[in-house]
Amino acid sequence: MKIATSISLLCAVLFTACQAPAIRHAPEFNGDLVAAGHRKIAQAPAHEKKRWQLITAVHALKLGRHDEARALLATAMPSAGQILQADARTRLAQSLFSPENVKGFHGESHERVMGWFYRGMFYWMDGEPDNARACFRTAQLMDALAAQPEHRADWVLLDYLDGYITTKLGRDGSDAGTRAQANAGTTALPDYNSKANVMMFLQFGFGPMKKTGGDVGEKIVYDGGHSQTHSARITAGGRTIIAPVFDDLTFQASTRGNRAMDAILAKKATLKKGGDLVGDIGVTAGAILASAPKTEGAGVALLGAGLAGKIIGGSAEPYADTRTWTNLPQHLSFAALQLSAGTHTVTIEFLDANGIALPDRQKNVSVTVQTDRDTVVFVAD
Amino acid sequence: MKHIITLFVGTALCVVTGCTNINSTHGPSVTELRPGERGFVAGLGIESQDLVTISEKMARGILGADPIAKAEGKPVIVLEPINNDTRFPIDKDIFLTRIRVALTGNAAGKISFVAREHMDKLEKERDLKISGQVTGGKKITGNKFKGADFILTGTFKAISSRGASGASDYVLYTFQLIDPDTSDIVWEGFHEIKKQGKDDVTYR
Repeated sequence: MKIATSISLLCAVLFTACQAPAIRHAPEFNGDLVAAGHRKIAQAPAHEKKRWQLITAVHALKLGRHDEARALLATAMPSAGQILQADARTRLAQSLFSPENVKGFHGESHERVMGWFYRGMFYWMDGEPDNARACFRTAQLMDALAAQPEHRADWVLLDYLDGYITTKLGRDGSDAGTRAQANAGTTALPDYNSKANVMMFLQFGFGPMKKTGGDVGEKIVYDGGHSQTHSARITAGGRTIIAPVFDDLTFQASTRGNRAMDAILAKKATLKKGGDLVGDIGVTAGAILASAPKTEGAGVALLGAGLAGKIIGGSAEPYADTRTWTNLPQHLSFAALQLSAGTHTVTIEFLDANGIALPDRQKNVSVTVQTDRDTVVFVAD
Repeated sequence: MKHIITLFVGTALCVVTGCTNINSTHGPSVTELRPGERGFVAGLGIESQDLVTISEKMARGILGADPIAKAEGKPVIVLEPINNDTRFPIDKDIFLTRIRVALTGNAAGKISFVAREHMDKLEKERDLKISGQVTGGKKITGNKFKGADFILTGTFKAISSRGASGASDYVLYTFQLIDPDTSDIVWEGFHEIKKQGKDDVTYR
């Protein structure tokens, strides 16, 4: 009877500890994604702000609000050589009783690459191609931790642009160009034209999303991104060129391999699974033994051990950080044009896997060619 | 029953005392450092202590170079932007500006610099004077903009690597003083810095 009372009490405590889910009202939205993004940034806790800054930067970029995008990227990202140091939140992320996502967001390697890629594009836009190249090199280095050697620093476009800028600056960019072609496989990359003066950065589709995997959510797995567009046909100044896909973000994200943090999460997962197992056995066996007067003492002890196991197993949080930079593209592409000074209409048709133009996707972009620097244009499908 | 209550109370105490607040209520603290000091947010990139060390070293080198030390009159130096061949985006003017300031401070009037970066504004001002729209036009007889006796420029190159054991960056800073009439490099100085570091395990 005593045991029945105890179990009832335990159940009552557990139930009263349960909390109804908080009602989250839909955010106000007036059609301005950038303004909505700024609201999210303001509302987000400190360790989440950078993610919202990055997301909002891409919204601003797509809307042509380049100054805002540039500023948001600069704020959200650490400097090129910065070491990401331990702090209270990173220590908490490693602790048994906290999930990984309590740490400040810096993204996984493909997200860090994209941050530097966009920053490089802005430097080029500002007439600083060597600083743009610096960003592309840093971006490539972000991918150097992939588990398999063949997947390390294998972004095609980053090497291609490194070589392009080097060529345009009057040096030999063939090394980087050769690396890019090697990683591009059967895709034939366009030759460098040192006289090209309009640089078109293109991106297609929706990029990969993270979700938890493993037995208890200790791993990151990627839901693949999607893009109907597989290349773009660009017409300007009486010439038409095809811009192929240079990089696939789902491929890049999913070839990262195990992170150092995954080993910590695996230990947490082992403890959680062990605790749960001890808890299940201890509570069940303890309850049975405690119901008999002769074995009550042993039963209570076992029940206690089982409860402790349950508490440890239930409190352990081995969940991987699945926060995602949600508006990255699936594919990156690029084309360089040589146009005369003045204003031109550039037509971009987005082509499917069979090379057929996707209906209602064509874009006409007015490009004013500058004389003192390259003109950099960003287009998303 | 007694055992179970004790067990619950003990567990509850452990849980409560195990909770910590990681959102500090204290505001950010600010520490003022000398620019030549290595800060606590030091990274692998090009930082203020590098700028100070390198610009002072280059300024000393330039002042000691024969073409400057033995020059007749005040040689005119023009600054040309640095070629950045590293993985670090930089403000390309800041090194040359820092060297110019160091030279101006130490050269005691032996060197003069011309402000080519403001050429558009200078030409506009000169034209206003010549046209009589502003005063001072009478003093201008012919082109008074000075040509360069030397061009000071530089190149930064780097070897960067990153792996499971950390990241490493070696940067070679070179500066040249060039005679524009002959294209001779009349002086060259360099400085090299290698840095290594490792991100926290949660970011690797």
